[in-house]
Amino acid sequence: MKALELKGITKQFPRVLANDHINLSIEKGEIFSIVGENGAGKSTLMKIVYGLYTPTSGEIYVFGKKVNMKSPHDAIKLKIGMVHQEFMLIPRFTVTENIVLGDEPRKGIVFDFKRAVKEIREISEKFGLKVDPLEKVANLPVGIQQRVEILKILRRGAEILIFDEPTAVLTPEETEDLFKTLRALKKDGKTILFISHKLKEVMEISDRIAVLRRGKLQGVVKKEETNERELARMMVGREVVLEIPRVKVEKGPVVLSVRDLAAKDHRGILKLKGVSFDVHAGEIVAIAGVEGNGQMELVNSLIGFTRPVKGKIVLNGEEMKLITPYNVRRKGMAYIPEDRKRRGLVLPFKIRENIIMGQHTLYPFSKGGILNDKVINEFATKQVEEFDIRPRDIYINAGNLSGGNQQKVILAREMAMKHNFLLASQPTRGLDIGAMEFVYKHLIEEKKKGIAILLISLELSEVLGLADRILVMYEGEIVGETVPEETNEEELGMMMLGIKRKERLVQ
Amino acid sequence: MNLLNLSIAQMFDFAAPILFAALGGVVSENAGVVNIALEGIMRFAAFFGVWGAFIGKNPWMGLLWGLLIGAAVGALHGYISVTWAGDQIVSGVAINVVAMGIITYLLEFVFKTTGYSPPVPYFGAAHYRVHISFISKIPILGAFSNLTLLVWFSLIAVGLIHFMLYHTVLGLRIRAVGENPHAAETLGVNVMKIKWFATILGSVLAAFGGISLSLGTLSSFTNAMPMGKGFIGLAAMIFGKWTPIGALLASLVFASAQIVQLLLQGMASGIAKQIPLGFYLALPYLLTIGALIGVVGRAVPPASDGIPYKKEG
Repeated sequence: MKALELKGITKQFPRVLANDHINLSIEKGEIFSIVGENGAGKSTLMKIVYGLYTPTSGEIYVFGKKVNMKSPHDAIKLKIGMVHQEFMLIPRFTVTENIVLGDEPRKGIVFDFKRAVKEIREISEKFGLKVDPLEKVANLPVGIQQRVEILKILRRGAEILIFDEPTAVLTPEETEDLFKTLRALKKDGKTILFISHKLKEVMEISDRIAVLRRGKLQGVVKKEETNERELARMMVGREVVLEIPRVKVEKGPVVLSVRDLAAKDHRGILKLKGVSFDVHAGEIVAIAGVEGNGQMELVNSLIGFTRPVKGKIVLNGEEMKLITPYNVRRKGMAYIPEDRKRRGLVLPFKIRENIIMGQHTLYPFSKGGILNDKVINEFATKQVEEFDIRPRDIYINAGNLSGGNQQKVILAREMAMKHNFLLASQPTRGLDIGAMEFVYKHLIEEKKKGIAILLISLELSEVLGLADRILVMYEGEIVGETVPEETNEEELGMMMLGIKRKERLVQ
Repeated sequence: MNLLNLSIAQMFDFAAPILFAALGGVVSENAGVVNIALEGIMRFAAFFGVWGAFIGKNPWMGLLWGLLIGAAVGALHGYISVTWAGDQIVSGVAINVVAMGIITYLLEFVFKTTGYSPPVPYFGAAHYRVHISFISKIPILGAFSNLTLLVWFSLIAVGLIHFMLYHTVLGLRIRAVGENPHAAETLGVNVMKIKWFATILGSVLAAFGGISLSLGTLSSFTNAMPMGKGFIGLAAMIFGKWTPIGALLASLVFASAQIVQLLLQGMASGIAKQIPLGFYLALPYLLTIGALIGVVGRAVPPASDGIPYKKEG
C-alpha cells in the first residue's frame, strides 16, 4: 500500500523554484530517504508534505486519498508527523508539557498534568523511548530532546514520520540510538521519510533513496542497487572526490604552543583540564573527540572568549598575556568558528559587510573611522568571485545564503586576513559534499602556504584525511596522540570514548 | 483604625493600579506581546471611567466604559502588532502619545475644564467599600476591613490569572506561544487567536488599573494620570519575573515605597528637613530603578517576548 504519493509538486518562491514537478511514491512501512545538497529543495518538499507550505501546483495523496493541507494541523489529522531540523521544543517546559501541547488531557478547562505524565510514561514504554516526563527540556542532551520530538508525533498517532536532517546535531552514539529507534518504528509498520545529505547514513538506514538537485528529482534508487559514489554524483551533478588528497609539506617552526591549559565552561565547570601541544608551520593538527569533551573551552581560550584558569598560550614566540579576539587576530590568528550563524556572521548584514568584519577598522577599508565603500566593494567583489560565493551579489544579506555559501564568506574573510595560524573549529559542520570539498581544498592550500592549522573536528573521516597529527580529547584531556598512517577510525573511536589511551613521544 | 492598619490599607490603594498594569503585562507578555501601551490604556480608561460614571451617575457605568475603551485600544495594539506583525514598541509608543493628546482634548470637550474633571460617583465612597467590621480592630488584618472593591478585584485577579496561566490548558498554550510560537503552531495551536486573547485581556486588566486611579480613592480624573503607573506596572512585572504572584509582591514593594515617602515627609525633622521634597517624591521611582538593576539580570522573559510572529510559507 502506498503511504504517500506526490504528483507534480512545484513550489515557486519569489526568487527561486524550490521544487520542480516532483513525483514520488512511498510505500507503507519503508524507510525512504531523500538526499540532496543544501538548497536542493528537500526541506521545502517536506514542509509541503507537512502542511507548512502550500505547493504552487501538484497533488498529494495520503494512504490513497487526495488531500489538501493548509496547516500542520491538517497534516497531524492525516497522521503525518515531523521531527524538525531545529527542534520545535520549549526549553522551559517539562518533557510532558512539550509532548502534550496542543492536545492536552483536561478536566474541564483545567490542564490535567498528572494524567499527561501517566500518558507519557505509557507511550515512552510502548515505543521503548526512555524519557523522564518531569524533567525540563532545557536540561536534556540533544539526543534525548530529539526523542521528545519523536514521542510528540507518535502520541498524535503519526503513521508517516518525517525526519529533517535528524543526525546533524547528534553525536555518533546518539545517531546509532536514533537508527535503532527508526528500525523499531519500521517494524511497527510506520513509514519513515529520512532527509539527509550524509550519504553514509543514508546507505545504512534506507530502503529506497530519492535524489534531489536544484529542486528537480534526479531519480529514485534502491539501496542495494547503488553506492555512495553514485549518489554523490547524482546529488552534485558531477564526479565528486570524496577522498582528500594527501599533501606533504615540510614542517616549519612552532607557531602555536599551548602548555597545561585549563578552562571552565560558562557554568563554571572545569571542562579543559590541562592540555599541552604544539602546532608547527605547514602542519595540520587535528583534535578529535566527541562533542563536549573540552573542545569548546579550548577554542574559547585560544580566541579569548574565556579566560583560562591556568596554563600558557604562546603564539609566534610571544606569550599571550591578555587574550582578546582583537589581540590574537592582530598576532596572526584566523578563526573559522563552529557556529557560523552565531559566531561567524552577522546574518542581517550584507556580504560586503561580513567579508571585511574584523578588518573594518584598518586601512584601506576605513580611515579615521570612515568606511571606504569603494575599496570595500572592490574587495568584496573580488573575494565573492575567487571563493565562488553564490549568488554573486555583495549586497545580499548573509542570512539569505545557503550554509555552504555562508561558510565561503567566512573563508573569504579569514583567508584574506593577515595570519599564520588558523583555528578551524568544525569547519564542515552541516555542510553538503560540494561545500565540504571546497573547505578541504582551502585548508590544504593554507597548509601549502605554511600556515599552522589547528583543526577541531567531530568527523573521523575528516580527521584521518586532513591531519598530519591527531590528538584525541576525552573529558578535557588529551588521551592519545597519533598520526593517520598509524591508526584507524575504530582505534580513534575507542580513544574518543576513553576506552583506550595512546601516548606518542612529542618530538 | 490605627496608623499601621491605615498605612497598609493605603498601600493596597496605591498598589492596585500598579498591580493591574503589571498583571496586564504578565498576561500579554507571556503570550509574547510586549504592551507598553498599558500606560496609554490606563489613561483612556481613567478618563472614560469618569465620563461613564458622570453620565450614568454611578461608578459601575464608569467601570463598564473604562473596560470597553481599554479593550478597544488593546484591539488597536493587537491589530498592529499581532495581525500585522508590526513592531510592538512602536505601536505602544504611538498609543501612549495618542492617549496623551486625545484625552487632554476630551477632558476640555466633555467637562469644559482643564486639569481635572468635576467629582463623580466613585468606588471609594463609603457605601461601595467592602466592610468587614469584626476584623477592624485587629492589627494588620484590620487593614482589610474597609478596602475598595477595586482593591479586592486586583487581589482576586492575581489568583485567577495565576490559576489560568499555570493550571489551565489555555494558560499552557499562552505560555507556549510566548516561548516558541512556531512550535505551538506545528502542534495545531492557533497562535494568532492566543496572542489576540492575551493582548485584549492584558489591556482590560490595565483598564481596571486606570479606573482604580480615577474612581478608586479619587473621584475625578486629573490630566496628569496615570503618571507613569503603567510603566511602573511593567517594572513590577519584570521585578516579579513575569508571574502574577511576583507582580503582586513587586507592586506591594513599590506601593510601600510610596507610603514610606509620605511618612518620611510627615516626620522629617532636623537634617531630614534639609532634604528637598523632590527627593521624597522620587523615592518610589528610585527604588524601582534600584530593584530593576538588582534583579533584572536574573529575570528571564519569555523566549519570544516582543518578537512579531509571522506564519511561514
